[in-house]
Amino acid sequence: MSGINGKIRLAVFKLTSCSGCQQQIIDLGELLLALLDRVEIAYFLEASSDAKPGPYDVALIEGSVSTPHEEKLVKNIRENSKIVVSVGSCATYGGIQALRNWMEFEEVKKTVYEKPEWVEALEKSRPISDFIKVDYAISGCPANKLQLLSTLKQILIGRRAYHREESLCQECKRKGNVCVVVAKGEPCLGPIIKEGCGALCPSYGRGCYGCFGPTIDPKPDALAKRFEDLGLSREEVASRIRNVTSWSEPIRRFLESYER
Amino acid sequence: MFSGPLYSGGFSELKRLFQEIRDRNYRIVGPRLEDGVVRLGELQSFEEIPYGVSDVQRPGYYRIRVDGGRFRTPLDSPKQLLYPPELTIFRVTKDWKIEYPSYRFEKTALFGIKPCDLAAIKIMDRVQGELGDEYFLKMRENLLLVVENCVEPGENCFCATMGTGPAASTGFDIAYTRLDNSIILFQPGSDLGADILGELSLEPATPDQVGAFRRAILKAAERAKAGFRLENLPDILELNLESKVYREIAERCLGCANCNMVCPTCFCFDIIDEPELDGSSRRIRIWDGCHSYSYAQVAGGHFRKDLWARYRHSILHKFVYWLRQFGSFGCVGCGRCITWCPAGIDLREVISKIVEEVEERCRK
Repeated sequence: MSGINGKIRLAVFKLTSCSGCQQQIIDLGELLLALLDRVEIAYFLEASSDAKPGPYDVALIEGSVSTPHEEKLVKNIRENSKIVVSVGSCATYGGIQALRNWMEFEEVKKTVYEKPEWVEALEKSRPISDFIKVDYAISGCPANKLQLLSTLKQILIGRRAYHREESLCQECKRKGNVCVVVAKGEPCLGPIIKEGCGALCPSYGRGCYGCFGPTIDPKPDALAKRFEDLGLSREEVASRIRNVTSWSEPIRRFLESYER
Repeated sequence: MFSGPLYSGGFSELKRLFQEIRDRNYRIVGPRLEDGVVRLGELQSFEEIPYGVSDVQRPGYYRIRVDGGRFRTPLDSPKQLLYPPELTIFRVTKDWKIEYPSYRFEKTALFGIKPCDLAAIKIMDRVQGELGDEYFLKMRENLLLVVENCVEPGENCFCATMGTGPAASTGFDIAYTRLDNSIILFQPGSDLGADILGELSLEPATPDQVGAFRRAILKAAERAKAGFRLENLPDILELNLESKVYREIAERCLGCANCNMVCPTCFCFDIIDEPELDGSSRRIRIWDGCHSYSYAQVAGGHFRKDLWARYRHSILHKFVYWLRQFGSFGCVGCGRCITWCPAGIDLREVISKIVEEVEERCRK
């Protein structure tokens, strides 16, 4: 590897996002310190102003692409990095800010900013994979720090990083949780959302709100039907399913037909 | 179903049974109330068993009621213990040595499990047992089985159809039946069971009590029936592989594999290799299921890309292939896949519809 003492040179970038995923990296705490034996953090502005130029072995990118500047930046990162990982649901799907993708762009600008003409933004908030080749995608709002660490550990030993992308229900059941849909009649997105968060919300007795994004073969139509049976209006159903990963392909397709 | 001697005693003797097993240094695992659901868990005292609490189990629906009634199958099956959801199989050290974890296998009594779950353990004996799953075998060796026969099956129960209940016939150490709260009938199923029961103050059951027991079980059996029969079922299912029912169900099915997880016999697993920073790595076995998309995905393709095909496979495995593989059906009729399906899909209804299609075709 190209870093000092054969370490991996890691860079962490941020696009349009809340920095929550970067905080997850910092929140690794002692595990992050242990990682430093094998990794040189060359660029991570959230943690250090000592920013070193590329090339990098691994680039972690948080945030969606929503400005022309970010489009250039992300392409530049790709050119300077061997492995690119999109971290979190903004980078992977477009994030909560992709809710504006469903609205009239000029209207949104006018509503939010006093001088909309000063705002230089792309019409849609999009995942980085729309612009560059992404090697690994980690989702979540925020990303799960252990899944992130696991990805880095897999990269470190030189193997293809792998995570299951089956339903959250499986992780939830393995964890020994009680199903909130069945036992409480609470709408939960678990059946169509991928595992990886440790079934966080259902572990506290509330339904999954879907921040990890859709499974490989999700069935949002069937889940929507179930939510309606539980007493939710179509509007409520759409709003629950839309949330942070509305711009992911399966959810987008679902919403387009459901809200027609 | 009715073989073996029956002894009767009061509710206090049931408590004494619990105590006697404790005194023999068993860890006791049985039904207990947790977050409004009857679960299988470690019991510190007899009073933790929620006698007097009943459950309402319908497709995709579970609630409890404190009404003096009876609870049915807990959310967890014995699989939770015998075949844990996540198990480290071994560790590979930095210098490539394989280290096996040392698990403690305590003497464990499963207290008050239902006949369907006993049947599931017997199926596991053939699957995990005969195939040499070490963890299973060690757990199993240390297991004392105390079964509670069902006199009030729930709405999702169909053990009578599957031939696994409502009363257990063999394979237990002790079976008991709560005719009511004052008369409990006990039945030894092994030498150890007889020895333990010998410590209790029991009388041979009177002919009246035996009669009441038979009537209660027969009545329960009437309730715990599905709309289909097992006779020729494998052939019928194989005759109707292209049934439109599978496609209809796939419209409602979420493909979430909750049914796989809660099934007491589903044994499919995934292997995860988790590297550590010190250069070692852990190999972990986790529950997986045939409803998972990636389950039938292989290098270069996919056996069952569509959900209807995955749903069909789960039914065919339980009701057709299992017979060829292991000599019995893979379903014990516990109803967990019905209760805990977040979409409320009723397996009994699905099979009945497929059978009806064939019957209709035959009539034409």
